[in-house]
Amino acid sequence: MVSSTKSIPATQAPPAPPAGGRRTSASSRREARTAAVFLAPFLLLFVAFILYPVLQAVAMSLFDWDLLTQSATDFGLDNYVRMLGGTGLTWSLTSMLSWRLVLLAVVVTLALAARRGRLGARTAAVTAAPLLLLVLALGIHPGPGGQWNDPRFWAALRHTVEFTVVATPLLVVGGLAMALLVNRKGRSSAFYRTAFFLPYVLPVSVVTLIWIYLLNPDRGLVAWLTERLGLGAVDYLNEPTTALPAVILTTVWWTVGFTMILFLAGLQDIEPSLYEAASLDGAGRWDSFLHITVPGLKRVTVLVVVSQVIASFQIFGQVYLMTRGGPGDSSLVLIQHVYESGIRDSALGYASALSLVLLVVILVVSLAQLKLLRSEES
Amino acid sequence: MAVLTSPAPVTATAPQADPPRRRRRWSRIAFHVAVGTAVALWLLPMLWMAVLALSDNEALQRNSQTLVPLGLTFDNVVGELRTSLIPRWFFNSVVVTGITTAGTVLTSALAGYAFGRLHFRFKKPLFVLTLAGLMVPREAMFIPLYLMFATTDQLNSYQALSMPRIALPLGVFIMTQFFKAVPAEMEEAARLDGAGHWRTFFQIMLPLAKPAMAALAIFAFVQSWNDYLWPLVVGTNPQFYTLTVGLAQQQASFEAARSLGDLMARGVLGSLPLVVVFLLFQRHLVRGIALGSGEK
Repeated sequence: MVSSTKSIPATQAPPAPPAGGRRTSASSRREARTAAVFLAPFLLLFVAFILYPVLQAVAMSLFDWDLLTQSATDFGLDNYVRMLGGTGLTWSLTSMLSWRLVLLAVVVTLALAARRGRLGARTAAVTAAPLLLLVLALGIHPGPGGQWNDPRFWAALRHTVEFTVVATPLLVVGGLAMALLVNRKGRSSAFYRTAFFLPYVLPVSVVTLIWIYLLNPDRGLVAWLTERLGLGAVDYLNEPTTALPAVILTTVWWTVGFTMILFLAGLQDIEPSLYEAASLDGAGRWDSFLHITVPGLKRVTVLVVVSQVIASFQIFGQVYLMTRGGPGDSSLVLIQHVYESGIRDSALGYASALSLVLLVVILVVSLAQLKLLRSEES
Repeated sequence: MAVLTSPAPVTATAPQADPPRRRRRWSRIAFHVAVGTAVALWLLPMLWMAVLALSDNEALQRNSQTLVPLGLTFDNVVGELRTSLIPRWFFNSVVVTGITTAGTVLTSALAGYAFGRLHFRFKKPLFVLTLAGLMVPREAMFIPLYLMFATTDQLNSYQALSMPRIALPLGVFIMTQFFKAVPAEMEEAARLDGAGHWRTFFQIMLPLAKPAMAALAIFAFVQSWNDYLWPLVVGTNPQFYTLTVGLAQQQASFEAARSLGDLMARGVLGSLPLVVVFLLFQRHLVRGIALGSGEK
């Protein structure tokens, strides 16, 4: 009797501090339960359709996955050898010289910035080292008689980089110029904004439909114009040198309104009093632009550049619909290669390996952005 | 005489008295002429599509380099609406975009409230995980998703078209930031009235979050409506094409080139829904886009 009455309070006593404390622990448990219910729908879908596919892609890239037989065989790095390897590879100083010179110029700029103290020495070194490695690596190419295992991968990678390097500055500078042009009060500016933005709401298939025929040498308006100017008509989409630039032009027309909107938001975040103070000090328009607008837009510019680089690396629809990657492989891009390897040729393992290249590039760009924005804040 | 002379000094002296104003007016006119020309050129491709859509197919065979409809006709538009799969594709797009948009807004708001206002274990790691999801290129990771739906025999279905696009880490991030910024007093007042988390969420928080949710909804809507790669991968049966994918079929084929008017009519029909939505909800859309990638 005694022992039993004693043992009950003994086991109950420890988890029973003052009444208020018990209530908070009960309510915090209830809060955790509520949180679980609130988070569940998002987390389930997030894990199932975003995280799991990434892990699955890594796993698939290590097998020879065949969609038709639903089987995974030959565990190993074969897919990566097929993607990155080649026969009879040699190294030479002059291979891809212009690309390497540009990269070297970037490294030199970084070094100069670090010497002038505008950039931390560590940041400069961490950025320059991989770039220098890249300059070295770009010297690798198949020697006489040798060839890449998958020349299409290298063509696709090259065109994707070219697209990104050309389209991003056009979209950034064009968007900024448009934003400055229409950043006024009044109805007419509102109308101009709407007009410049309008193409962005068209589906990609309508954009390509318009431009395929606009650029058509027999039927399009561009040919009409160039013929009047005595330049003759060019079949832009069927010429290796003009196919990718034509796609870039189309993309700029389609999406530059989007970067304009982002810059407009950035312009409106700049304190108007700064401009007033500057004009009281007798600063001209150009001075205000250089010393108020440009620094004020730094953050939004980083965001625009990064989002455009990420979007450009995933370019697919316009290229696929306008040129099918042709003529030859002169405008083939990475996602089209993933699509054709995986869906058309049923080589899911190889396609996964290809898509991981994109994942790595985008991870690197995103992390660089985080770093840039953080150093900006500090 | 007096009537004739009296206005003269006014017009004569005004420019002398204030030459900068006159110069400013001319520069303003020049500005509007220049930008107006640019806008006209900018919209020319869309105008051309509309002109060809309203032209006679036979006439277009001979000449399509025109800016006025040749043999003005609505046959192309009516014909496409009657005989093509466009109404079906439009329906598919509405269903898929509807599920995706509603799902994205709802799951983002719920998760954003939990991250922004509730206290629970593993909150930080879960939030970091969500942020890491921002870096996954969704467009590029379609191979494992394709396998997932192909092996369970769910290609050509609405769930395959919409489910993978509902979870949007960016949306959760935006909603978290929003709920974090709501002053604590609002919640405490509700708590004193005896409201639990659910009632606080639905009666206090959701109405407050309407503008953020509208912006997010429109962002998700545009993304989903214009999505091309995933619906292309997962829809192999024309009955399950979305409008964006359906319109892309046979664009450059030989057959299509002979009926340019029909082709352009499809383009007009395909772009009309979003153009109308844009013109109606312009302000929200612009905000949604600024929010969509500005916060990233």
